[in-house]
Amino acid sequence: MGRDTKRSASGIDAALVRRLRRNQYTGAVVNLAPSAFWLGVFFLAPLAVMFLFSFGQRGAFGEVLLAPENLGLQQYREFFIPDDRSLIGGLWVTIAWAIEAIVPFELSLTSGQATPYVRLLFKSIGYGVVATVVSLVVGYPMAYYLGHLAPERYQNLLVVLVILPFWASFLVRIYAIQLLLSANSVLMNALAVLPGIGADVSLMNSRFAVLLGLVYIWIPFMILPVYASIEEIDFTYREAAMDLGADRLEAFVHVVFPLSKPGVMAGSVLVFIPSAGAYVIPELLGGTDSQMIGNLIADQFGSAGNWPLGAAASFVLMGVMLLSIAAYQRGGGELA
Amino acid sequence: MSGVLGRIRSGLFKRGTGILLGQTALVYLFLYIPIVVLVTLSFNDSRYAIVWQGFTTEWYAALLSGETVARVDPNAAWAALSNSVEIAAASVIISTVFGTMLAFALDRYEFPGKRLFTGVVFMPIIIPSIVMGISLLLFFNIVGMQLSIRTAVIGHVAFGISFVAVVVAARLQNFDRTLEEAAMDLGANELETFRYVTLPVIKPGVLAGALLAFAMSFDDYVVTFFIIGQENTLPIYFFGMVRQGISPGVNVIAALIVVSTMVLVGIAQWFQGPTW
Repeated sequence: MGRDTKRSASGIDAALVRRLRRNQYTGAVVNLAPSAFWLGVFFLAPLAVMFLFSFGQRGAFGEVLLAPENLGLQQYREFFIPDDRSLIGGLWVTIAWAIEAIVPFELSLTSGQATPYVRLLFKSIGYGVVATVVSLVVGYPMAYYLGHLAPERYQNLLVVLVILPFWASFLVRIYAIQLLLSANSVLMNALAVLPGIGADVSLMNSRFAVLLGLVYIWIPFMILPVYASIEEIDFTYREAAMDLGADRLEAFVHVVFPLSKPGVMAGSVLVFIPSAGAYVIPELLGGTDSQMIGNLIADQFGSAGNWPLGAAASFVLMGVMLLSIAAYQRGGGELA
Repeated sequence: MSGVLGRIRSGLFKRGTGILLGQTALVYLFLYIPIVVLVTLSFNDSRYAIVWQGFTTEWYAALLSGETVARVDPNAAWAALSNSVEIAAASVIISTVFGTMLAFALDRYEFPGKRLFTGVVFMPIIIPSIVMGISLLLFFNIVGMQLSIRTAVIGHVAFGISFVAVVVAARLQNFDRTLEEAAMDLGANELETFRYVTLPVIKPGVLAGALLAFAMSFDDYVVTFFIIGQENTLPIYFFGMVRQGISPGVNVIAALIVVSTMVLVGIAQWFQGPTW
């Protein structure tokens, strides 16, 4: 009797197991569940909390007010709209200011100025763009050499030499830059050969230092994807182009470069995103005039004590990053 | 005029390989000179750490015997290092297991909302660490979790999973699934198939993912700073030292970190082939 029920119970178990194993979703659920749980609870939920905070208000003692009557777009308004303006007027001033800043010639569309937050956001994007362009201009020729011209015996070694610094400690490498840019360093003594520069000059705490740090840290992220796509190019296309009368430059511009474009785009996104969102590099290498949006966020959650504004700034920054990824995907790029 | 330019241009291209070689060499110098200078200055016989005064190993000797050199206390550094290793080891184990399973699910199965879910998996890699760190801090505050090494591990797993999943998924794309079918036809169940067929093939990918997760955890300053409370990790300790300025003690610690990580990673790359 007892044995019978036991057997039938295990029979039901076996049937259940068999049905579960046949079900198309079982494998997916089992494999997804741990990560979905972890990312849901310890990544998305915290972001949701922060998102909620970005609609809150700062109380008199720096606390965050989240009661329904306090919720609103006021932090985003403070971020984007200059004090004394209406919504439309403020938007116009911001856009006009941005156009004035971007066009290379003198143009006066507005007497007003964008909010300090918007100016900081633009500056951060500018740093990101400059770091990306410099990395591309410096990194592309090197990637071309590694991917196409380097003797095959040394190719792996040369690539590993690009990868190694990327694995070595980030903070230590920033400190190394600091050692070079400080007054009386080896570099400054070398530069003192030039007229008008003394060895006791320090290049630290400047925009130059921040940009140099960004390029130094992120340039492997440009070199490696470009190298990977150049290595895959079938260079007989280039020969074909030259047989058909293209000179070397034309063959490069019309054949080789377009074929390497996936690597260039991937590298640009990989350099731009961490550069625009940098926090440690401007903190350690920059001065008061070279802080970025990441520092603003940290300040709002620290000494400035306006958490809702910091939360709003975080989401504005992430919006910029999503836009750059969207642009990348529109251009035909794929994630990973 | 254009003839002259053309000749200059073709001349440039003719020496192209040489020019590119030179440019490549310059970039290597750019990447390595700061590190070489750093390591050299750690042997500098000067309290003011930046101007070269001669070779000495006194700073190393002092720190290794437990003496404090210019505010740098080797015991605090050791404690920070052991915290770092503990956090990295714990988070690598969890994120490698979960991340590999995740990569499988993304490679093998179609399910509703897959595109969106894949986007979420990429997000921890993409979003600025400062945002991730602060949002975790707010979250831990709200749910009332005491900040400690444990909360740091939780945060590190949250980005580690993504790094592992991306690396392993790339390997799985080239995996020949008929191997698995053959194993199943021969009577292996799912777990046996995974253990004896799939895992040996994708092992390099899993190892590479684990290595990346370890490096990201070990090296992380920003996220950890917000979620570890009063504890130190090596990057947090180092950041505090750098904030106080250049000193022989910091030089020694920095040189030890950079040389040991580069040697370890160099060995790993030697055995695995270039991995990034």
